[in-house]
Amino acid sequence: MAPLIAPAGPNQRVARPHEPPSAEHVLGSTRMGRDVLAQTIHGTRTSLMVGFIAGLVVTVVGVAVGVTSGYFGGRIDEALNLLTNVVLVIPNLPLMLVLAAFVGEAGPLTIAIIIGVTAWGWGARVTRAQTLSLRQRDYIRASELLGEPAWRIILVELLPNLVSIIGFNFIGSVLYALITEATLEFLGLGDPLALSWGTNLYHAQETSALRVGAWWEIAAPSLALVIFGSSLSLINFAVDEIANPRLRTLRVPKRILAALRPVGAAE
Amino acid sequence: MVFLLRRLGFYVAAFIAAATFNFLIPRLMPGNPIDTMFAQSGTVLPPESLEALKATFGFLDVPLPIQYLHYLGSVFTWDLGLSVKFYPLTVNQVLVRALPWTLLLVLTSSLTAFTIGSLAGTRAAWRRGGAFDSFGAPGALMLQAVPPLVTSLLALSLFSISLKWLPTGFAWDPMLDLTWSWASVWSVLYHAVLPVVTLALAQIGGYLVTMRNSMINLLGEDYITLGMAKGLTDRRLRLVYAAYNALLPALTSFAMSLGAVFGGSLVTEVVFNYPGLGYTLYEGITSRDYPLIQGQLMIMTLAMLSANFAADLLYIIVDPRLRRA
Repeated sequence: MAPLIAPAGPNQRVARPHEPPSAEHVLGSTRMGRDVLAQTIHGTRTSLMVGFIAGLVVTVVGVAVGVTSGYFGGRIDEALNLLTNVVLVIPNLPLMLVLAAFVGEAGPLTIAIIIGVTAWGWGARVTRAQTLSLRQRDYIRASELLGEPAWRIILVELLPNLVSIIGFNFIGSVLYALITEATLEFLGLGDPLALSWGTNLYHAQETSALRVGAWWEIAAPSLALVIFGSSLSLINFAVDEIANPRLRTLRVPKRILAALRPVGAAE
Repeated sequence: MVFLLRRLGFYVAAFIAAATFNFLIPRLMPGNPIDTMFAQSGTVLPPESLEALKATFGFLDVPLPIQYLHYLGSVFTWDLGLSVKFYPLTVNQVLVRALPWTLLLVLTSSLTAFTIGSLAGTRAAWRRGGAFDSFGAPGALMLQAVPPLVTSLLALSLFSISLKWLPTGFAWDPMLDLTWSWASVWSVLYHAVLPVVTLALAQIGGYLVTMRNSMINLLGEDYITLGMAKGLTDRRLRLVYAAYNALLPALTSFAMSLGAVFGGSLVTEVVFNYPGLGYTLYEGITSRDYPLIQGQLMIMTLAMLSANFAADLLYIIVDPRLRRA
């Protein structure tokens, strides 16, 4: 999509350096005379891709660890739970900094994987807690007595009941990944040639855009992050209310809830 | 006591895990990072220091397990090696110099956010569906989705550069000698306003929602209804009966979120040129100062573990069930 809607190539020099927003260049230009709008639009691709891939990795690892640990219990649970708690208690960003620093100039995909493998702790904990409580239910007992194999109980009986938690976890992780990617790239650990909101901010900082008054260069990727991030968190708020009726504010008309339901389910 | 001892054991395990991670990562990457580091930067370190650095990180001609023990030994004697960027200072000296600033930012902002967020959450839950709840809760969540990176950049641009109300960086006025005089303290506070506020903004939403949700779940309990029937004042019921019990999940999320706050503080410090861990680290990253980058993981982990331990102690105060165990 990006080439179709962007006014210029992201690396084309189409204007004078640090031109303020005008009719021709709606969001102004960078130090290198590149169009900020074009850069932001092209950056969206990478940022969203990293967000979704990392979110997916976080969710898959988290659910796998959480369900295994909650369902099998005993030694397995103890080991996995210890692992989860260790992952949770070691601060994420410093850990990622070490990883990214040793990888060198990490491309977007590498960053997505780095985020994925370090951030799954929270999801695993929540999934485990829910699995533990589901495991006590009669219908799971019944399936066990019927002699259903463990994989079938997990896939057919447990997972469908975990969908709301998994969805919540996924959206939260995408949001987290998006922010973290921007942060890592801003700190200069990303590949400076990649085009994403984070590298845009990095270049703006490197060329001291703010100090020379070129606020538009910072504002564009920042606003993109804010808008995308808040939409995700609002979706999550709705998912939470649908999954947990107690939290629902009573004044929400049924119509709105009905409209929200497919969104929550699709995520 | 048993509870505390078990937690302590866990913290030691977590610390070792972080050290193990530091040990393994350089060895999984191709080549020897210490040699690479020396090859790529016109470095000021004399060859003896190179040898010392290799010894600290266990890059010796011995089998891997012994290298590992060697490295653990270095870590537990808090020998984190020499900083490349700030030679001749050791990583330890560099980090200890920077730590208080980061702690100042992290603790002030977390406590502020915790207090404001929890009180607002209590309010939102009490008048559920009211105007404050309907706009406050989703609004706080949206605020939480705004990364500290963005808030600090925008705040810097608005308040420091455009309006010139607050300083653009550093932790105190460089014209002053830092002492315990009023002028110094005032200058430090003045410079901390923007970083603290931006950091706190990112956290308030989380506390608000945690508190609101756990309050709402509690408000359905019988003892609340009983309290109402007894004719207790709203205020007493809300704060002493409901909020106090809803505090446990909030405390958990407080301890858990500290890691994120440390992360956020790294970014905020870079934006505001604040001389804490984050800024020091940023300088380390730009010059690929591996010992420094690894050292900050250890010190951040240690800070995080101490915070968790403090939260454990608070738990014991808040939840009498743990005292019996």
